[in-house]
Amino acid sequence: MAPKFQIKVFQLSRFVKNFTIISVVTLSFLLVFFSKTDYYLINGIKNLSNSVIIPITRFISAPVNVFSNFIDEYNQFRSLKFENKILQEEIIRLKKWQTLAIQNSRENKVLKKLLNATDNNLNLVKTASLINRNDTIYSKLINLNAGSEDKIEKNMSAINERGLLGKVIDTTANNSRVILLTDPNLSISVKSISDGIFSLLTGNGDGKYLVSSFVKENKMPRLGDIVVTSGTAQIFPVDLLVGKVAKVEKNRFFVLPFVDFKNIDYVQIVTSK
Amino acid sequence: MEFSKFFNSNIKLNIILIISFSISVNSFILLPNINNAFYVLFHLTFIYLIFYHYHYYLYLVALVYGILFDILLLNNIGAHIITFLSLLMLFLLLRKYLIRLSSYQIIFIYFITLIMLLLIEQFLANLIHNYKFNMSLILNFILISLIIFVPTVFLFTKLDK
Repeated sequence: MAPKFQIKVFQLSRFVKNFTIISVVTLSFLLVFFSKTDYYLINGIKNLSNSVIIPITRFISAPVNVFSNFIDEYNQFRSLKFENKILQEEIIRLKKWQTLAIQNSRENKVLKKLLNATDNNLNLVKTASLINRNDTIYSKLINLNAGSEDKIEKNMSAINERGLLGKVIDTTANNSRVILLTDPNLSISVKSISDGIFSLLTGNGDGKYLVSSFVKENKMPRLGDIVVTSGTAQIFPVDLLVGKVAKVEKNRFFVLPFVDFKNIDYVQIVTSK
Repeated sequence: MEFSKFFNSNIKLNIILIISFSISVNSFILLPNINNAFYVLFHLTFIYLIFYHYHYYLYLVALVYGILFDILLLNNIGAHIITFLSLLMLFLLLRKYLIRLSSYQIIFIYFITLIMLLLIEQFLANLIHNYKFNMSLILNFILISLIIFVPTVFLFTKLDK
């Protein structure tokens, strides 16, 4: 009786092992297959990773974060004297500009009244702060501490005080994920301010520049020209600051974004009015 | 005694997996190479687990880490999960040949597997999710692999006694 029983146990365990392998492979195949759709399971996994896994990984990697902050503080302390000198020079320069800006602001108000124009075309949904970022390897993503409970939805625009940052690609109840402009998988339709040349910009992969993937009628903007969102794709509101043309080649041009992607603390989620 | 029995090398290697995964998915702007180094360390540990501690639970480990890496780094499931599971199945097929190799040959294959794994992930990310094939990132990975490979293998063999 005993050997028969042993054979049965062996067969069962082998069956379990084979079943595990087959089910894992099938599940992964299905996940890959459905990953690009809004399938319930995929969204569930994404929600779980945003709300549970990210806080756990942040907790585990906290010592490295403390070390990184220490290096940052040390660097700041080292450059304190030099920065102080620059800031003093800048204060003098800004005082001159302030006088000019007050004059321009008054003039602007009067002209707006004459034209009957509205102040801006943006509707602020929520101001959120950054909780973690995954922008070193592969994609350029950041996670924010506000989600669908704060009325944030997919495809809303993310901006900060310097200009356009990216767009929301995923939301959970309390978190949302933003893809940055520098990601090669994000395209934005833009126009140059001086010439009104329409083009599409994507991330260059280096995390620094944006590169044109399509230029309407192959007209190249001028070097130093400011680029804003055109609003034609109806994802980003019109006239959001994007960057400055930094390099022009024969068939493409490079834009240096206004946003400093290394220093993102607060992000505003906006829609067009 | 009981604690040290429970805390065997398999558990230690899995703890290294968790720590290296956690650090590699959290970007540190001032220390970008830390992310890359722990990303490489994760792969090194995973291959070591497959080579020296092969068990069927590794399929579940590959599934979980594959999904999490794909979602956190690529926002789409594909590149990592396929690579990890393919490596496991390839090892299952080639195990009988690998056993016959000398320790130096195994170390060489270990290193080649690491580089191939990192390359295939990039290739699949490009193929499935249209991510740009980042040559500088690959070179960075290879350089980090060259630096950390020997100390890591030494550490792992010490853990395994």
